[in-house]
Amino acid sequence: MHIMEGFLPSPWWQLWWLVSLPFVVLGFYQLRKMFQENREALPLLAVAGAFVFVLSSLKLPSVTGSCSHPTGTGLSAVLFGAFITSILALVVLMYQALFLAHGGITTMGANLFSMGIAGPLLAWVLYRAGKRANLNTFLVVFIAALAADLFTYMVTSFQLAVAFPASEGGITTSFAAFLAIFAITQIPLAIIEGVIVALIFKYIIDVRPDILVKLNVLSKTAIERIREAAA
Amino acid sequence: MDEHILDDLALNNALSGTNSHLKLLLGISSILICVFSPSFFTPLVVGISMAAVTVGLAKIPLREYITLLMIPVTFAASGAIVILFLTGGGDPILSLSLFGATLTATTGGANLSLLVLSRTFGGMSALFFIALSTPMIQIFTVFHDLKFPREFIDLSMMVYRLIFIFIGEAIAIHNAQVMRNGYNGLKNSVHALSMLCGALFIKAWVRGEEMLIAMDSRCYDGKFEQCGAKQTIGILPAAATGAYLCGCSVLAVVFSGITLF
Repeated sequence: MHIMEGFLPSPWWQLWWLVSLPFVVLGFYQLRKMFQENREALPLLAVAGAFVFVLSSLKLPSVTGSCSHPTGTGLSAVLFGAFITSILALVVLMYQALFLAHGGITTMGANLFSMGIAGPLLAWVLYRAGKRANLNTFLVVFIAALAADLFTYMVTSFQLAVAFPASEGGITTSFAAFLAIFAITQIPLAIIEGVIVALIFKYIIDVRPDILVKLNVLSKTAIERIREAAA
Repeated sequence: MDEHILDDLALNNALSGTNSHLKLLLGISSILICVFSPSFFTPLVVGISMAAVTVGLAKIPLREYITLLMIPVTFAASGAIVILFLTGGGDPILSLSLFGATLTATTGGANLSLLVLSRTFGGMSALFFIALSTPMIQIFTVFHDLKFPREFIDLSMMVYRLIFIFIGEAIAIHNAQVMRNGYNGLKNSVHALSMLCGALFIKAWVRGEEMLIAMDSRCYDGKFEQCGAKQTIGILPAAATGAYLCGCSVLAVVFSGITLF
């Protein structure tokens, strides 16, 4: 769900940059702390960033200035937390703009807010809440990734709607119009991404559960429980 | 799989020796002129001239350039149609009946959608200029000179390296899956795609760990050294950039009142 370069007029692109800025600063602060405590964090985060990039380069066409992709940020939010994900998303958006011509520089603030902040934050909150409620891990991961995608798409529609309100009915009408147009591609896409992320999670638990323990995503006992249930 | 990685073209373009600060300044300033221009005229001029510079001076093959330009322009065009019918003001120029609802385009909507279309065209041309004339390695050097946070640059450089590993692996896995009918039907496709992503993640994860060992054995101390060659700013490119940006700014001010209707 990228908004193309030049599509958002002033003052909206500046406004979305300003909204995203505090999250980026907080992300950098956490990143610095993480690098100091654990040097292995750098390759791990780089893997996550490149992974998000490759996942998001699988694309589907859709109407209106942005195009439809899996965002991949749901997985990242569950693994690394919401603030680190905003930094990863910043790196990924830069590469998408420069390598794939998706998105842009002025619209990066808006894209960062929808893909890198709003979606991952919701995914992270849902994952933590689901884990606390002792729900099935894969179900929780599925819901988190699904919600991250859907929320990202709603935020993008909202960003377009406030920048281009309809003459009759204002923001509400154009919000509904943009939502309806994106729904065709985004809802199936979100479900598929949810399934895929849940399956990826299963692979990680099968092969390298120690990573998840180290990242404080799952406890050792939780992993043993999942493995016993699968056996 | 999107294999149009623009960096491949950027590494071999004719402007790769030109100062990268200057190229980024030109690209980003052009984008800003487009976004701030109140009329569709200046973004159109910027778009055409940036495309001419990219194809003419940077010697990017025209056919490749047009293919690339079609991606955003198609999206922007369809977006502009939505704006044409949603926003309004002025006299109606066109009415359509669709699913029982009447859609009316007005002169205000037409002006706005043309403006958005031209801004996107101008902005994307300028973005393409940066992407196609400046290899990523040079952009890292600029980030370094501009005192971007060290963590951001290190992370970006490592992601840059891994992107190509990932894409190579993904293509290999994808080919193997296609040969085994992996993408036959939706259920198979979802299964195959998640296997691809999962295997990709683990493979790349292992590569990442190996990379840390390789870095450690080469005395990695938590910092990457920047080895970008110092580039001098030529008088001619600097003067041309300055003249171009001043010209476009003047155009934006002088022709700020031009609208379609």
